[in-house]
Parts: sequence; structure tokens; C-alpha cells
Amino acid sequence: MAKSSKASKAKTAKKAPAASAKPSAASDPAIAATPTLVSSQAQGKADSGQPEKQGPVLDWMNKTRQWGVRVKPGKAGLRLGDLNVGIYGEIPMQWSDQSRNPRGAVPRKGMPPVGYAVREKVGMWADSAADLYEEAIQRRWAPATDVPWNTVEKLPSDIERAICQVCTELSQFANVEIETIAGWQHQMVYGYHEVKQYLATASFDAARHYECFRKRALVNGGGLGVEGPGQVNRMILESSGGWSATVAYLVLVRAVFTMTILKYLARHAYNDAERFIYEHVLQDKARLLTYGLDHLHFAVAHDDEQPAVLATVLAIGDRVLTRDLRDPALREALAIIFGRGIRGARRQGMEMYEEMMADFMQTHLGYCRWLGIARAPAEAMPPPLNRHAGASVAA
Amino acid sequence: MAKFPSVRWFDAVREVFNGDESVQGGGGGYCNCIAGMKVGKDVFVLTFEGVECTEAVKADDAALDDVDFYLDMAPADWREMISNIHSNNGADRHHTLNTLDLEREDGLATSHHGDQYREDLFFRYNQTFQYFFNASARIRTDF
Repeated sequence: MAKSSKASKAKTAKKAPAASAKPSAASDPAIAATPTLVSSQAQGKADSGQPEKQGPVLDWMNKTRQWGVRVKPGKAGLRLGDLNVGIYGEIPMQWSDQSRNPRGAVPRKGMPPVGYAVREKVGMWADSAADLYEEAIQRRWAPATDVPWNTVEKLPSDIERAICQVCTELSQFANVEIETIAGWQHQMVYGYHEVKQYLATASFDAARHYECFRKRALVNGGGLGVEGPGQVNRMILESSGGWSATVAYLVLVRAVFTMTILKYLARHAYNDAERFIYEHVLQDKARLLTYGLDHLHFAVAHDDEQPAVLATVLAIGDRVLTRDLRDPALREALAIIFGRGIRGARRQGMEMYEEMMADFMQTHLGYCRWLGIARAPAEAMPPPLNRHAGASVAA
Repeated sequence: MAKFPSVRWFDAVREVFNGDESVQGGGGGYCNCIAGMKVGKDVFVLTFEGVECTEAVKADDAALDDVDFYLDMAPADWREMISNIHSNNGADRHHTLNTLDLEREDGLATSHHGDQYREDLFFRYNQTFQYFFNASARIRTDF
């Protein structure tokens, strides 16, 4: 059901005025009428004191795979996906070109291979990438001026410290996202530029998140707190088995976890500035989630081994996440925020934290089910994930 | 004065929303989806295209098969949300779509098709939908 809807979306995205092709530039009278120039070869002679005028070479003008393309802007402007017409819309399952040749351009002979690690469509593709790229640009926001910073007022010390601690860890999460995406992006072939371009915006989104959490921590008389335990950070950063496995960690584990935290933080925000930040970061993260789900869906649909591989990857991830969750800093800070102080954290705050974790597991397991990735039953998961997963099943 | 729920009410909100350029930047902006609104037994379908909500129509349950997602609340809950928005010139933190989603066992946004990609449009465009309902603070609502 999901596949058909996505396929139709992809087809819709490609609906742009058809391109008409003309044979080549050689027959263009404008080329023949080009005035005589000093060619680069002749320029060398000119430098040596022997000026020699020659006609321009212009042989590059004859080289194009398809000429006469005229894509017209639609109601939403001229979108990246609209350009996928004619040969420019041919997106093969494998990209054998090892150069930086843009898709649809004529390859130059003798180019040394760049050595890309991710060269198959199944390893990175998502039909939604071009749309997500446009969306990220159109729905961008600026922490410096869009966040109503003047609504931040003095808070009790325990609450301010808790917010600063959470912001410290969330800014760390954002930094890991930037580094992870950047670490893979240059390993991806040029043939699937929509994905590379979308990931560039995801990286920029993460930079914005790093910025706004840091700003919140430093805007109200507090400061940064303690560095997070970082086991999951390391797991994501050091995941080297393929981009799909990294996406499983970055999106199915980290992004879903972060989004769940943001939803609860927005619900318990202390002022409009915080609410704005949490809600807008959540929206940005939803794009990464869409890319991740879309990509993994594609990978699972085109590689029979992928569901089992991802199941193993996530089982390893459970154990690493468990170690992070045992660290008290984030848990206690969130409970203080939810409980509106240390006193309230003991009961109300911790109950809310447990509810949040059950929500996280419910969402995470729901996505895994949708993707067809088998997960261990709740009781077989390491503590405290077993408790949270169990609570999510009961809910 | 427009009675909620009705096409007239949604049209009045659309007019305010579509005419407010301030909600088209700062995290708002292009939004392309079809969203259902289920108010008890009443169903309305809203079409969002570009920076506008282009259409609101009354529909029936069957129409919910085709929407990307729909928001489902009892009439009393819709009334409480809209009244809160009117009183505060925008939802307070207890009445945002995000909070209402968290407080419901099955969430506020759901779908018949179960396609995560389409359901998640609720979160991708969440601010736009919040801006849309916040625009109702600028019309007079009768229940």
C-alpha cells in the first residue's frame, strides 16, 4: 500500500513539461558566426611574443546527450524534481561512472576514478529526496530572528539547569548528525544528486539545531551542562557497513528518539521561544525521518537481504542505546522539566519520562513493522528498553 | 459569525490564513497535502497547495480513504481547542496540535491507509496546520 502511493508520488513529481531534443549544437548558425578569438594555444604564443590569431576550437559545443530541453516552471516554481525529463530523468539502479560527471553530461575520457563507496541506487535512493530538498529550502527558519527570544524569562535554578543540560545533549546530537551526513556524502556517486542535495539541507538543518540549542542554553543566565555519554553518537559516527545501516541508526533510532523528546519538550515548554524551537526543530527532523523511511523502504524493496541485515544492525543498536539510557543526566533533566522542578520530577516528571520512552519505543517499533524489519519481542530486549517496549505494547 | 463545524467556517479561516504572509516564512511555507478533519461524525477535507489552503469541502467517511491523514476529535474537544485559540490569540501549550496528538492514545493524526510516508506529513507541515487553526482566532465562531 505504501509502495503504490510513493510510486504515484514519484510519478507526480516527474510531471513536468516534456523536453524536446535537438540533434546538436553543430548545426547552430550562431556557432559558425562566432567572431575570431585568440585560442589558449595561440595565447601561449602571444605570451612568447609571437601573436597568432586562430579560430576558436568550440568542439565541446557539439557534445551533449540531449539538447533543446525546455522545462517550464509550474505553480510551485521550477523544482529540482521537475528537471527529471528525457535522458536527464534516467536514474539507473547502478552508477558505474566513478567521476564527478553530473548526471546527463557527456563524460570526459581519461578522468581518474574518485573511488565512491556508495554507487548503487539501492544504497541511498529515496523518491522523496528532490521534494524534501525544495521543502527544506522553502520552510527554512532563522534562530537569530525568528525565535521570540524576548519571551525567555528567569526560571528557577533547577529548571534552568535541566533545560541547559537537555540543550547540551541535543546540540551534541545535532553535531553528530552533521558529521555523519558529511562523512557519507562525499562517498556517494553523483548519479543520485537529489539525495546528495537533500542531505546537504539536512546537514544545514542540523547546524541550525546545534545553533538554537546552544543559544537557548546561553540566553538565560545558565550555560552548557555535562557532555552526554555518547555511545549512540559513536555508534552512528562509526557505522561503516553502508549508508543504509547508518540511516537505520541515524533515523530509526536517533531521529525518532529526538523527535519524541521534542514533542514532550514542546508540550512542557516554559516560554514561546522554547516552544518555537522545539516545534520547528521537530518539523525539520520530520523531513529527515521521511528521507530515512523512504530510503529504507526502497532498500528493503530492492534487496531481499536488507530486512535481516537491518534487524541485526538494530539489535546491536539496542544494546548501545541501553548504555546511553542508563546515564542519569538526560533522564533526570527531562523529568525536572516535565515535573516543573526537582520536587515534581520525583513522581510526575518521571511518570512523564516513562510515558515518553514508551511512546518512543511504540513509534520506533511501528516504523520497523512498516518497513518489514523483524524486532525482538519486548522481553528479549536489554533493560531498560524491555520495560519501555513492554509499556508501549501494553499501551 | 460562522458556525463550527461547517464549510463556511473553514472558508472563513482559509481567507484569514491565505491572506497572512507572516505565516509563509519562519518555518511555514509550502505545504502540499490533503488533510481530513473529523469532527464527531462530520468530515471535512482541506486541500493545501503551495502557501495556501485552496479548498475546504464537506465529505463523508469514505473520503478519509484518500486523504494523506486526518485529525480526529470529538466535537467537545474541537470546541475546546478552538475556544482556547480564540481566548489566547493562538493555542496555548495545552492545546497545540502537538500536545493534543500526544494526549490521545492513538494520536490526533491518523489514516486509513497506514502509509507512514503520508501520515508523517502531519509532522512535516505541523507549523502550517497550527498557523491555520490559529488563524481562527481572527474570526467569530459560533458552536
